Amino acid sequence: MTKYIVRRALGLIPLLLGIVIISFALMKLAPGGPERQFNQNPRVTEAQIDAWLTRWCLEREPTPIGILREFSGWMGLYNCDTESFLSESGGLNVLPAFLGGGDNGILHGDLGISIVNARPVTDLILERVPATLILTSVALFLWVTFAVLLGVVAAVKRYSAFDQSVTFFAYVFYSLPTFWLGLMFIFVFAVTLHWFPAQGIVSPRDWPPFNTPQYWEAFGEDPIAAITDIGRHLILPVTVLVLVNIAGDSRFVRASMLEALNQDYVRTARAKGLPRRSVIMKHSFRNAMLPVVTNVALELPFLFSGAIVTETIFSWAGMGLLFIEGVNARDYFLLMGLILITSVLVIVFNLVADVVYAVVDPRIRYD
Amino acid sequence: MAETAHPAEPLHGELAQVAEIAAEEAGTQDFEVALESLNQWQLAWRRYKRHRLALIGSFFLMSMIAVAVVGPIIWPYNPNDIPGVTTPGGDPPTLNPIENIFGTDFGGRSVLQMVIVGARISVAVGLFTMLIATTIGVTVGALAGFAGGRLDGVLMRFVDLMLAIPFLFVILVAARFFGGGDPVTLIVIFGLLFWPGLSRLVRALYLSLREQEFVQAARAVGVSDLRITFRHILPNALGPIVVSATLIMAGAIVTEAFVSFLNFGIRATDVSWGNALSNSKGYLLQGNWWWPFFPGMALALTVIAVNFIGDGLRDALDPRSKE
Repeated sequence: MTKYIVRRALGLIPLLLGIVIISFALMKLAPGGPERQFNQNPRVTEAQIDAWLTRWCLEREPTPIGILREFSGWMGLYNCDTESFLSESGGLNVLPAFLGGGDNGILHGDLGISIVNARPVTDLILERVPATLILTSVALFLWVTFAVLLGVVAAVKRYSAFDQSVTFFAYVFYSLPTFWLGLMFIFVFAVTLHWFPAQGIVSPRDWPPFNTPQYWEAFGEDPIAAITDIGRHLILPVTVLVLVNIAGDSRFVRASMLEALNQDYVRTARAKGLPRRSVIMKHSFRNAMLPVVTNVALELPFLFSGAIVTETIFSWAGMGLLFIEGVNARDYFLLMGLILITSVLVIVFNLVADVVYAVVDPRIRYD
Repeated sequence: MAETAHPAEPLHGELAQVAEIAAEEAGTQDFEVALESLNQWQLAWRRYKRHRLALIGSFFLMSMIAVAVVGPIIWPYNPNDIPGVTTPGGDPPTLNPIENIFGTDFGGRSVLQMVIVGARISVAVGLFTMLIATTIGVTVGALAGFAGGRLDGVLMRFVDLMLAIPFLFVILVAARFFGGGDPVTLIVIFGLLFWPGLSRLVRALYLSLREQEFVQAARAVGVSDLRITFRHILPNALGPIVVSATLIMAGAIVTEAFVSFLNFGIRATDVSWGNALSNSKGYLLQGNWWWPFFPGMALALTVIAVNFIGDGLRDALDPRSKE
């Protein structure tokens, strides 16, 4: 098992390298190059742009060797200050700082500086994690729970009116565009009925902005009121996410459960006189959940990458909205950082899903 | 790739002779058959007809395509023609005049007109993305699945890479940096990004199909690899390919609307369903629900129709499904 995990993890390295190259290429291929982001700002002089470019090992019209140098600088192999593969202290730049290496580049955990906010990308991303986690974890928990309930009942009562209507609504909600559903929810429940707030994470009149130290101070004073406030803001975006995502998962659970109900050992269990309920719950359900667990593991990157669409519509200041802000502002380092992190999460959770499957299913052997 | 020795020419000739004789015998013995003979397409159509939702979906999609082609010719859109409104935020749906049956935007422009003119972008993006992505996906998948070996390894690692990077992220960045509001560029971007899932499916189909007897038989009579790949295996893999092509179409239509909704897609002055949703956002507070509702409804119904068609085709084209 350990051997299998190690082998798989090693296999991820070329994939990671590919992801790094693609996110870098996206930036290099963009018309005008990264310096174009300063076009809008009349106060930035050409000299300042040059200084900025040098800081990140970037060049205005790089030769192929120049591009390699830029890439190595972004990776952290090359030191932009000493202009060599050696760091200021004389060691190889790629080594960790305490071994005499440099501190630039993604290998040293430096994702660059956001152009818009003039702050490290790593800080910006970490700052948005709580907001995204609140939204996505509640939504994921609810839709997986409902999907399992609906899927199992639909499979047990196959072709019943219940099954047919679950199928029908699954198709409808699967097809509905999230952003349109969100807008309609805002119109009905926020604008017309005034039941729930339409935007944001907290009420701006009663609370300081979310993610600021002041907010957490206020949170400490009255946690119950704070949680209720967030809860009210959560209802609409979570409902949208659950409705849209429940569809695919409930179909998956239904298919998996149907297969588990048709197994020979289920017929045997029925034949020897076990009650129907216990056969369904003990023999079928537990086995049907094996692929479902894997499927959920594959959905976990969503927890951190955030829901771009939902966060945009409900102005939920999480990772998804951060990404949209980055695209709007052509904030290269931020975009490269976000693409890199979410892609790494996807491949890591792919590995996790495989390992989880091997752990929960004794029939699987990896040698 | 394992090179198969080409069989000697005489064998080929002999086989052809045998076939000719068989054909002559069949021709001379002319007798009437009471059984109705159906080829596989007729069988598929028979199964498809039974899927009521798929039939409704096909009818809806056909009319949408007709609207997209003919509609803007009959009723061209002039963004500078602003008739004015009586209600601030836009006039609600009314039967008088009939063209405002879906209401108007803040300037009095008919929402029905937006739905009709916007259909063109959605239908074009859906159809052409499907064409480009399916072509690339089938070619890559077929090459990888049939050739195997190193080529397969390289192509599939690339597909892994494409699938690892969150799709929406790349599409938004690409649309922002390379799109420039041009529908054709957007279609090309979509086409280049929508194929990896399909190629994996096609590869899996080819891996199992290339071991079947009919492929060995074709190879034995000296059919070239290229011809086996596309002439012999492809028709057998068609069912799942067609189904996932419809999924690509539905996905492309929604993604275009979404990208335009975020203002990274079609130019804001051009009419598309996504643009209508985006422009109307600010007027929801004034109570104008019809401006986003009807274009969104058109979008949702089109996507549902395409998904139902896919579901019907899945049943119809599955050779294992019986009458």
